[in-house]
Amino acid sequence: MFEEILEFLILGLVLGGIYAMFAVGLTLIFGVLDIVNVAHGEFLAIGGYALYIAMVVLGLPAAVGLVVAPVAVFVLGLAVYPLLFAPLQKRLGRRAPGPLFLVLTLGLSALLQNSLLAIAGGEFLSVPPAVKGGLDLSFTYISGQRLLILAVAGASLGLLFLFLRFHRQGMAIRAVAQNPAAAQSVGIPLGRIFTLTIALACGLAGLAGALIAPLFSVYPAVGFTLTIKAFAITILGGMGNLLGALVASLIIATLEALSVIVIPSEWQNAIAFGTMILVLLVRPQGLFGKKP
Amino acid sequence: MLSVQGVSAGYGRLEILHKVALDVAPGEIVGIIGPNGAGKSTLLKTIFGYLPPFEGTVTFENQTLQGRSPDQVMRRGIGYVAQAGGIFADMSVHENLVLGGYSLKSARAVNAAIEKIYAQFPRFRDRSRQRAGSLSGGEQRALAVARTLVISPRLIILDEPSAALSPRLIEEIYGTLADLNRSGIALLIVEQNVRRILDSAHRVVVLDMGRNAFAGSSDELRRSDRIRRLYLGEDAG
Amino acid sequence: MSVLRPRTIAIAVVALAGLALPLVWSHPFVLHVAIQALIWALFAASWDVLSGYTGQVSFGHGGFFAIGAYTAACLTKLVGVSSWVGMAAALLLCALVGLGVGFPALRLRGHYLALVTLGFGEIVSLVVTNWQSLTGGAFGMHDYGTFSGLPADPLAQRQMAYLIVAAVSLTGLAILLYVTRRTSAGPAFRAIREDQILAASLGIDTTHYKLLAFSLSAGFAGLAGSLYAYYIQLVSPTVGSSASSALVIGMAVFGGIGTIWGPFLGAILLFSITEGLRFIGVVYNLIAVGAVMVVFVIFVPRGLAGIRLYRRGRQQRADRLKADEDADKGLVKAE
Repeated sequence: MFEEILEFLILGLVLGGIYAMFAVGLTLIFGVLDIVNVAHGEFLAIGGYALYIAMVVLGLPAAVGLVVAPVAVFVLGLAVYPLLFAPLQKRLGRRAPGPLFLVLTLGLSALLQNSLLAIAGGEFLSVPPAVKGGLDLSFTYISGQRLLILAVAGASLGLLFLFLRFHRQGMAIRAVAQNPAAAQSVGIPLGRIFTLTIALACGLAGLAGALIAPLFSVYPAVGFTLTIKAFAITILGGMGNLLGALVASLIIATLEALSVIVIPSEWQNAIAFGTMILVLLVRPQGLFGKKP
Repeated sequence: MLSVQGVSAGYGRLEILHKVALDVAPGEIVGIIGPNGAGKSTLLKTIFGYLPPFEGTVTFENQTLQGRSPDQVMRRGIGYVAQAGGIFADMSVHENLVLGGYSLKSARAVNAAIEKIYAQFPRFRDRSRQRAGSLSGGEQRALAVARTLVISPRLIILDEPSAALSPRLIEEIYGTLADLNRSGIALLIVEQNVRRILDSAHRVVVLDMGRNAFAGSSDELRRSDRIRRLYLGEDAG
Repeated sequence: MSVLRPRTIAIAVVALAGLALPLVWSHPFVLHVAIQALIWALFAASWDVLSGYTGQVSFGHGGFFAIGAYTAACLTKLVGVSSWVGMAAALLLCALVGLGVGFPALRLRGHYLALVTLGFGEIVSLVVTNWQSLTGGAFGMHDYGTFSGLPADPLAQRQMAYLIVAAVSLTGLAILLYVTRRTSAGPAFRAIREDQILAASLGIDTTHYKLLAFSLSAGFAGLAGSLYAYYIQLVSPTVGSSASSALVIGMAVFGGIGTIWGPFLGAILLFSITEGLRFIGVVYNLIAVGAVMVVFVIFVPRGLAGIRLYRRGRQQRADRLKADEDADKGLVKAE
């Protein structure tokens, strides 16, 4: 029993790493732009497709694919603010955005997801794992891909936190999140920071998509379920709170992994949604948030 | 150096400023006073680029400012201290100062500038790692002023530097401002505390209902019975 | 008013002609598209009552639609009731569920409300997928029959189904329009949308009216779901998926949020267009819906309903200007 729990805990940690890479980006966009990006999952899917193209279509080594995929999604993410968000912000002026950005990103999600469906078809494309072999613990076996996920998730999130903490542009991102007017007064151009923030978050999602591609295959809707789950995570962690999102990712993933012991696996997804609704009703600011 | 001519501005379609004019000469302290709702803060926001003017021109050292965003305006050498200070409350004192130098390309220049500021404000060196939001109101205001100094501005715009401060702290902040002015920085200050600004400013501009009502030296203002009655809330007798 | 009369008559004539078209041009495909378009129209109008008109944006309306569809299918299959009873039951049950969702959602606004309704939709979809004994799981339910009392002839059957759906859907629209335009609920809904706190301070019982909007909206979404169940004669978990929630929002955006008849008309048009696109390829219709949402939200915020208003010209523009100015004044005062 104990070993079983330990095994699921490790699985939960791996899953939590993926959730975190995704949810931290989502909550970063929310913190800086006050926008919930419903289309975030599609960038994860595009990351998976980019890896598929690099590894399976072009036959490049996995290491190259794992670099190309996030970079490609980062570049795509650079277009989101100037092309979509900035025009709507401009039209709204000082009026409250209300739910219009949600409708916009929901439309973007439908557009991207179905474009992928039209281009790549609906089938599940499998990608070979980036690393072979694995780690044989006496009670369980952890595949190399899972270990890679843990390492890359840890490293990329660590780099992001260091970037935000110490880099000039990272500090600017935090400054804009805290006080956009003051940020402008010290010379920070809002538009460029918004563009950079979204692209960073998208790149991180693209990397996550490339990492899970060998485990879950690549298909157009691979990101959407995760998006909804990530909403639950960001709400649990307090919207806009990066560390909160990281911790909440690990909590939700561990709960999901452990739940298999108690409830049928079809109901696994209900944990995230149930938690989200519970948190919104009991403590809407999340575990670590200030006021909502 | 700063010249505002015929500027009308406001929010949406609501015009608050009507053809306002204003000048600041190098090294000068200019105060803007007037009753609540006269458009004083609106004027500062328009000069600094937060609000685009409907008409009129704003120039700084013969370069056009209107139509530029705040981050572009500050790069011309203008500092801005918002009404509540506008510091980054969740960041450390040091980080606030580093961000003050965001527009400088070289990290070395930023560090040198911050070193100078620490020499000028030793208490910030002692508290460099403290959360800016945990500073007292007066210190937060001083930090906001210090933050503008990183880029060595030639003009600093301040929106009510004395608001919500005790008389002692008001004297302190105005002492700091006087020091800055002696080092050659021009100041444009919106102030509710009329007595205080009359003591410091070389010239005063009075706004009323979004229009220029008076412009002149502090002494001229003090001598004008009508202005005193209207804007200083004193009896002329 | 007298100026409007000929216009009203003209609109009525065009609408009736449009409604009669599928009966005159009774090609099975035309009827098929027309019936589904009307179902989506009622669904979109129901979404708009809550989300557009009252400003409480729901991202999980597919959940109500699914509950309505499954209620109708289950009742007819297991209890054997007529479709009329099934429809009424779907309406009432969904209104109750809407009330149930509305209660906890009372405290939530904006992003949070949208996300909690999204979670609600996902949970409905999980339940219908996994409650296999009742719902048949992923394969869904079938063999429970169609509307009661349809003629045997296939074409006549479809024509009759069209008439039923058109009647129910238009009645639904009429009721929603009546409630929002002719009763005290209308101004209360609008006040909640513009400023909840102000609405409450004006003595509007926001709790009461928000719950009313929730149950009204959910009820008619459920009614649309039951129409779908009886017409298509197959309900599966996909009817309530987040994709259908997204689709209905896209339709409403296309038609013009906040007008109720706009989304109704927008759904008919968008559904017909995208069904037409099916000839080119199955997935292109959803790409089109996504593109419509993106483009319309940014560039045509008032939707098709707004485009039409341009002809009515000055008065409306003046009204809008004034509303903007009032909003500006409010903002300035708040500063």
